[in-house]
Amino acid sequence: MLKRRNISESQRSALLISPPFLYALVLMAFPLAAIFLFSFWTQDFMDVDTTFTLDNYREIFEKPIYGALLQRSLFVSTCVTVVTVILAFPVAYFVSFHVRAERKSLWLFLITIPFWTSYLIRVFLWKVILGFNGVINTGLINIGLIEEPLTFILYNVNAVIITLAHAFAPFAILPIFVALEKIDRSLLEAAQDLGESKMMTFFRVTLPLAMPGVVAAVLIVFIPTIGDYVTPELMGGAGGKLIANMIQTQFLALNNAPLGAALAIVAMVCVTAIALVFVLLNRRWLRGRS
Amino acid sequence: MSLRIYAIAYLIFLYAPIALLPVFAFNDATIIAFPLSGFTTNWFGELWTNTSLHTAVKNSVFIAVMTAILSTLLGVCAARAGAMAHFPLKAGIMGFIMLPLVLPEIIVAVSLLVVVVQIFDLGLSNWTIISAHVLICTPFCIAILNGAFQNLDPSMEEAAMDLGETRFGAFRSVTLPLVMPGIISSMLIAFTISLDEFIIAFFLSGVSPTMPVYIWGLLRFPASLPVVMALGTILVALSILLLTIAEILRRRGMARAGVADKGGFL
Amino acid sequence: MTALITLEGVNKHYGDYHALRDIDLTIDEGEFFSLLGPSGCGKTTLLRTIAGFESVSSGLVAISGKDMAGVPANLRPTNMVFQSYAIFPHLSVADNVAFGLRKRTDLNKQAKEALVADALDMVGLDGYGKRAAHALSGGQRQRVALARALILKPKVLLLDEPLSALDKKMREQMQVELMRLQRHVGITFILVTHDQEEALVMSDRIAVMFEGHIGQLADAETLYRRPRNRQVAEFIGKMNFLEADVTAMGDTISLQVQGLGGLQITPEQSPEVSEAGQAVVGIRPETLGILFEGETTDRKLAEGVVDEVVYYGDMTYYDVRITGVERPLNIAMKNIIGQPVLDVGAPAQVIWDERSLVLLK
Repeated sequence: MLKRRNISESQRSALLISPPFLYALVLMAFPLAAIFLFSFWTQDFMDVDTTFTLDNYREIFEKPIYGALLQRSLFVSTCVTVVTVILAFPVAYFVSFHVRAERKSLWLFLITIPFWTSYLIRVFLWKVILGFNGVINTGLINIGLIEEPLTFILYNVNAVIITLAHAFAPFAILPIFVALEKIDRSLLEAAQDLGESKMMTFFRVTLPLAMPGVVAAVLIVFIPTIGDYVTPELMGGAGGKLIANMIQTQFLALNNAPLGAALAIVAMVCVTAIALVFVLLNRRWLRGRS
Repeated sequence: MSLRIYAIAYLIFLYAPIALLPVFAFNDATIIAFPLSGFTTNWFGELWTNTSLHTAVKNSVFIAVMTAILSTLLGVCAARAGAMAHFPLKAGIMGFIMLPLVLPEIIVAVSLLVVVVQIFDLGLSNWTIISAHVLICTPFCIAILNGAFQNLDPSMEEAAMDLGETRFGAFRSVTLPLVMPGIISSMLIAFTISLDEFIIAFFLSGVSPTMPVYIWGLLRFPASLPVVMALGTILVALSILLLTIAEILRRRGMARAGVADKGGFL
Repeated sequence: MTALITLEGVNKHYGDYHALRDIDLTIDEGEFFSLLGPSGCGKTTLLRTIAGFESVSSGLVAISGKDMAGVPANLRPTNMVFQSYAIFPHLSVADNVAFGLRKRTDLNKQAKEALVADALDMVGLDGYGKRAAHALSGGQRQRVALARALILKPKVLLLDEPLSALDKKMREQMQVELMRLQRHVGITFILVTHDQEEALVMSDRIAVMFEGHIGQLADAETLYRRPRNRQVAEFIGKMNFLEADVTAMGDTISLQVQGLGGLQITPEQSPEVSEAGQAVVGIRPETLGILFEGETTDRKLAEGVVDEVVYYGDMTYYDVRITGVERPLNIAMKNIIGQPVLDVGAPAQVIWDERSLVLLK
């Protein structure tokens, strides 16, 4: 029936979508194209030389520091993603399956509130918690559980991972929750009626059906964490800096926008490639089961 | 049951850092550590007298208000178009508009910096930040408003027109009142996001910093940490207040339209 | 009867899709008119064209002699009751009903309130004014939609499948209500429905539509007894079909009918067959009967065996397989005292009359 609906309504909705679409085009697509272009140019202090060159990319591939940073960034993002999604799944499951319908939005509300508060302040709070003289250390020393402050929890990669896992938690919970909600409960009952135990029902019915939500959660956590710059700056110490910090340095401190742009492009390409591989593998896994 | 315990423990993990804010904001010590010293409101007093902070706050509020208005406007257009008939490439275009949700903020910041400064040689100002914030807030607004628009019966506007209203009059008298809670929610959330946003503001700040950028500056000085705690307490309390209002409005909007609550603005 | 609505050569295209094909019809003042047909036949599109929500690709739509081309829905003398009722949930019942009066500066507040009270009274909802509209039941919402439309005293009331969302009992009740309302108000009602029973019960005339064009336009009895073609015959009510061979055409038509033998019918019983050859004969179930033990008849009989029995309380429907015909005939018998309900497998003599046959292609 929907096919028969007004053609003029279709035109009207196309007209309506143009302001946001054009806005995204001008402010997102065009600037992205611009940094892509920029990565092929060079800059000397304030002058930009627009001759096409691959020097920036060459530098990135030749100097080991960039590769190392990129690797570390991808490693951290992957760890954060894995930790966050695995910790998030049981919570999403709990709210979807074990909470009464009227209470669900309250739980979701409570889960998302920390996300809406200042990111900067939350990161800083973790620094305060994990620091040498911070809350955990002084607290534990006070109680007498330890004598010397723990040093492995700050100014390194571990600190960054903990902080980011905390920050992105709601990002992971919500898509998984949505996918779980969509599962027809009678499918699960049917599976049990046909002889499956609760555990097997979960692995053979629930999990595959929730997969789209898990994939979305993985992408929503993995992709933005590559670009995180605040956490490594505050918590990472010398050994915990990530690619975003280098990009920031190139752009602002070193006035080398083309190199920064090239780094950004390389980072984006890596991330997109990994994300695509993940999605494809996942599809293959799902298809293999059916 | 064990899942419930896990979920509650998770919530505690989520709230733990924030809970520390009021603890140390009223703590009479310059170091953020246990054991606690006495109670004091000095830090809040310092906030009150700090004029550069006030300028930064004014800046942030201005940016946040403009962002809220503009991104809600764009969000209304997109959500309404989304609830209407299909047009060519609809899914692709909607997906494209939602893309900023998965773009790292640093990429957005950096690419806009290149365009504004290097290509067009314009100065950075509050408006550069506003345009960037609108870009990243609009997808959130669309997510909220989608819910509001999809709950509407499409015949209602036609019924209003049948009863004598023009097309715009029908929108104003029937659709708008019903999506108004969604609009207000959307504005509050865009406001909150913009107010707290740091990375883009850091890259695109002109002469006067926004509040998060100002806080970033403070973080370098250990002596100012308790003041940051006090400021943080206020910000968190404000955010929670705004979000609670947004949630209440969202629920009321659904009750008005007689729709069952399925959980959040999803 | 004066013509109120005239459609001439109306066509409507949605891109490649031809939704309305050369529609010609006139609807009179004070008529209860129905557009009947299966899903996708174009009946709702046609209604919306009259209402002004769709424009026509070609042809004329005129109301009271005025061409409606270019006239938008809010300026036409029509009002519509939508399938979902489209009640405004954020307004009270009274505000809903008064919605169309908002632009009327010639009425003061009291006059409007009086009109609202009258309208609510007319649909049986007096006293409901202050209620919240979203808290009403389906049937109540429909009445609000009716009041809201009728308060504006349109020349035509358009109803888009108004009863499809109601349960059976409610539907039957509302059918009577709508008829009563139409007589009381005296204006033209145009009803769209896919339920042929509904159309037959309520309408003065019915246009049966298939795939964008009108199959037959007539009153209920004509449609039922004299369907113009097989499509209409199959859509309206139940129909038995038997193969037939037309042997002679003239003042009377001679046929050989499968299972019934040779017989003759009048040309009026043949709306579309005009030459000898293969054809099909249609018989309504209630025009057939079963001869029970002890009864006599002077009509024709055919021997058969009972294949299926469906007991409905007031009626029993038999499927009887008569000799020579593979598909059983459906026979509708009123349950009368003294007549037993037959068992499956029992022999049965089927009573038939050639005057109730209709010859189709």
